[in-house]
Amino acid sequence: MNDLRNIRVERRDDGIAVVVFDKPGSSANTFDRRTLEELDAVLATLESDASCRGVVFTSAKDAIFIAGADLMELSGLDAEGIRDIGRFGQQVFGRVARLSVPTAAAIHGACLGGGFELSLACDWRVASDDKATRIGLPECQLGIIPAWGGSTRLPRLVGLPKALDAILGAKIMPAKKARRIGAVDAVVPREYVVREATRRLGSGRPQRKAHRLVNNRLAAAVIRRSAARTLRRKTGGHYPAFFRALDVVTKSVSSSLDRSLERELEALCELTATDVCRNLVRIFFLQERAKRYQVPGTPELPEGHAERRVAVVGAGVMGAGIAQWCAARGLDVILKDIGPEPLARGMKTIAELVRVLEKRRKVSQVEARQILDRIRPTDRDVPLRYVDVVVEAAIERMDIKQAIFRDLAARSGERTVLATNTSALSISEIARATDRPQAVVGIHFFNPVAKMQLVEVVRAEDTGPETLARAVRFVQQIGKLPVVVRDSPGFVVNRVLAPYLVEAGRLFAEGVEVEAIDRAMKAFGMPMGPLRLIDEVGGDVAGHVARYQAQHFPERIEIPPVLEKLVEQGLLGRKTGAGFYVYPAKGRPTPNPKARELAGASRGPALPRETLQRRMALAMVNEAARCLEERLVEAPEDIDFAMIMGTGFAPFRGGPLRYADSLGAREVVRRLEELAAAHGARFAPSELLAEMARDNRTFYEDERPGTASDAA
Amino acid sequence: MSERLVIVDGVRTPFCRMDTDLARLGAADLARIAIADLLTRTGFDPEAIDEVILGCVGQPVDAMNVARIAALRAGIPERIPAVTVHRNCASGMESITQAHEKACAGRGEVFVVGGTESMSNYPLLYRESARGKFMRLARAKTLGQRLGILLSFRPADFSPVIGLKEGLKDSACGLNMGQTAELVGREAGVGREEMDAFALRSHQRAIAARERLAEEICRVFAPPKLDRVIDRDNGPRENQSLEALARLRPVFERGTGTVTAGNASQITDGAVALLVMTESRAAREGLSPLGILTHYACAGLDPKRMGLGPVYAIDRAERLGAPPLAEADVVELNEAFAAQVLACQRALDSADFCRRELGRDAPIGAIPDEKLNVNGGAIALGHPVGASGARLVLTALRELRRRGGRRALATLCVGGGQGAALWLEAA
Repeated sequence: MNDLRNIRVERRDDGIAVVVFDKPGSSANTFDRRTLEELDAVLATLESDASCRGVVFTSAKDAIFIAGADLMELSGLDAEGIRDIGRFGQQVFGRVARLSVPTAAAIHGACLGGGFELSLACDWRVASDDKATRIGLPECQLGIIPAWGGSTRLPRLVGLPKALDAILGAKIMPAKKARRIGAVDAVVPREYVVREATRRLGSGRPQRKAHRLVNNRLAAAVIRRSAARTLRRKTGGHYPAFFRALDVVTKSVSSSLDRSLERELEALCELTATDVCRNLVRIFFLQERAKRYQVPGTPELPEGHAERRVAVVGAGVMGAGIAQWCAARGLDVILKDIGPEPLARGMKTIAELVRVLEKRRKVSQVEARQILDRIRPTDRDVPLRYVDVVVEAAIERMDIKQAIFRDLAARSGERTVLATNTSALSISEIARATDRPQAVVGIHFFNPVAKMQLVEVVRAEDTGPETLARAVRFVQQIGKLPVVVRDSPGFVVNRVLAPYLVEAGRLFAEGVEVEAIDRAMKAFGMPMGPLRLIDEVGGDVAGHVARYQAQHFPERIEIPPVLEKLVEQGLLGRKTGAGFYVYPAKGRPTPNPKARELAGASRGPALPRETLQRRMALAMVNEAARCLEERLVEAPEDIDFAMIMGTGFAPFRGGPLRYADSLGAREVVRRLEELAAAHGARFAPSELLAEMARDNRTFYEDERPGTASDAA
Repeated sequence: MSERLVIVDGVRTPFCRMDTDLARLGAADLARIAIADLLTRTGFDPEAIDEVILGCVGQPVDAMNVARIAALRAGIPERIPAVTVHRNCASGMESITQAHEKACAGRGEVFVVGGTESMSNYPLLYRESARGKFMRLARAKTLGQRLGILLSFRPADFSPVIGLKEGLKDSACGLNMGQTAELVGREAGVGREEMDAFALRSHQRAIAARERLAEEICRVFAPPKLDRVIDRDNGPRENQSLEALARLRPVFERGTGTVTAGNASQITDGAVALLVMTESRAAREGLSPLGILTHYACAGLDPKRMGLGPVYAIDRAERLGAPPLAEADVVELNEAFAAQVLACQRALDSADFCRRELGRDAPIGAIPDEKLNVNGGAIALGHPVGASGARLVLTALRELRRRGGRRALATLCVGGGQGAALWLEAA
């Protein structure tokens, strides 16, 4: 290959060749076939060059070394293509490892997947101490395993336990952590990575520890058994990549390099053929899309546009959480409430959040102080002229919100975006109370703010295009993932979640055991059972959402009395120590007999898990289809993305609509009709589903209907 | 170029006695809180500030140039410079007059000024004797050397030098501040009973002024949990009585002494921040300021009689064009010591003193009690030295507005033998 596009080679007087990855027109380097071919060609030249005394691999990018394989290219390949590129990558990196001169990776910026596997093929690894430098093998997260030598070379380098930790944890480590486990040899300021890498080359090839104590057949068997147990508990058995990785990595320590690489390749081919992998990769793409998403038809914001000052109205749990999050992202925050007591409670919440960050070493002591410094509590009606974004998180009452927004509109600047964090009021109605309805938008965070990545950006009837564009950019700026939805009761996440939670409550009221209900949905792939979720959120909060939805969709949502009774009795869930479960100070929660008593019904006959799953999961599917039918979002992936990121909806199923496609609309409609006949009209299939069943269509164009085999 | 400076708005933290509610906050923290609140309540764009100038007497060792640290932490953009100024008790006033002088020199139009002091956090120091030993210990190479030096330490080496005590001593004349107060009180013939009565009045006025003072105070959410709201001065005592004051023992002179902890200012933590700018700029911004700085002066005198500083400063200001004292509707004269305030009142109104000391034909004039420190003074509220000067200006301007008066005078005595006086006008 004569023309190198993505790589250039700098030959230096000292005989060192510096191989610089620099994909044109991009801020990232990735390994696509072309880049691998270029690297292969470069290696061929270097092999035959007697004047070359060593090779340093590095990147010209600002924040990325090599971000891994080009997933876009990979996901377009068929089985043969996957095998082919897998083998080719292994060969090229093998060529790096076999070079007769010493090699080093000079790493600054993200060094992930294939990027790290290239580094592992080198003799030395030097990383920068910059925050941008993050090193790891996150393949399992995408439903595959490191298959360009990572699963084989990492355990050889750092020993089996640490390698498993890194690969099964899909961990992305800062440079220091990588050095601690032995995955890199030195950490230096970014300006010195190439210099330090060169210095290391001078000492030839390193003598590495053999890790004989852990890298042997016996130890591997022990480690494997305990790791498998943990994995089964954590994944519910839905994510095969972790088990394949465990298999390949533990076997690698007692196999030849070639044999182990062969296993990597087999696993890769097998895993990429699964729906699980396809769905996980899709979620990855949706996340990447959300990070850059621009609402069509909204104005392009100027380069470098960033909001700097935020005011949060309401210092409750949500307000404090939002204020803390924004401050941690470098924004100045005015925290407003009506008096010193609620402000003090809010400040206390914030201080606790920051203390936890500090304790977990997520922030330094100085950074912790900076976060707190950026928050200015006030109970005065202060001017908001220079505030860029107001996020209102006061109590959920229309008259109060309207009064607040009238006042906000009067006191803010003409460029101030006025956002509400309401989850249960019409934003269009709030906006109409102001003289600047075009500036009003919904920015709906989920609780707890620090953990939930999803934010619903809600477009009200009068929301102006610039307001919408800035709201989306603001959410992206603070590191959250936006999904744009139209103003309607419950938006998307609560709208789809409500029938599911209510259905779980009805099953309980019919006499089904609380644990049977929750276990069924955990087996389906939800991170937590629905009744446990109600307990975690708080029965009062969940009840509030459910009532609001019931008010708008009475024909589908009828709250079983037991939910109300629990709230009346103060059994609100974890925060009060009891709800559907009793929460002891120590140990596991157990079913709450009081809840069963309140439900009235005695224990009914055990229903098959499949029945339970159908009633609850299809309630979500049906509602999700309605959201699409009502055009609350642009596309089905918006709903699937929102449900996965906002509720943890079984990621391997790809979201409720993807799941419906996998069953096929006909099957979904058949099951819904069956349920409607048995349990009531709330299960009547939505029009869209019925229509799709008639035409045998799918929500997604890339799906063939009804390819899934699993139940529900 | 000469232009008047206006004070647009101001705010201060509560003033709290040393080692009480604000003790966990350093001078930088206190100033950061005051500045951040000032910016929040005014809604003024921090980008439009030209410089930050803060007074601070005891520079915190962990926040040298405390003005810069506080400014950055309060969210003032990095490119905007900050300087800490020091004229002892007049440091807070110095920040204001420097802003004016910079504006006149064409070096900016908009300033955040004020002062900060955490007297709780004044350091304890090792004595000279111990310092040498510690240095040698650090340089020791062998175990034997180290052991030898360790053995040379004596218990006295570990009794610290109290930074606060040293700070309150004037090394030029060898007297501490209390002793200078005893001197001016003695010479002016001010008795103990008078001082105690003055002190009592300060407390009574401060208590009665709670609501008025609340207007100038911002809330502090106290660490570590930020769940405790501090929003009032804790110096004023509701149940203060003459009897209780009379029982206190003189601190600085045994036997003949008159200055007690009760009739001297309290040692206190606190900070003040003011937004000031040129008159024309305020007009352009469409702001309605609290007041205008019209005249000011600093003057020097015998360090042993520093308590009379206001007399000299008021005289000098008048010579520089300030109105006669009688025109002041409100006077804030810092209560470093009751003895010194009462001595000032006498000296100002004494034809003899004014002729002898200032070469005036007539006395400067009297300050009637109903104009003097009407909301209490440092004896009740406390005297965070670097902040007090700015506090006097803020309190005077708010009182002026309340009374609908025209002119206010803020003045104080300065350790080392100086006085400062600022004339203000309602805007």
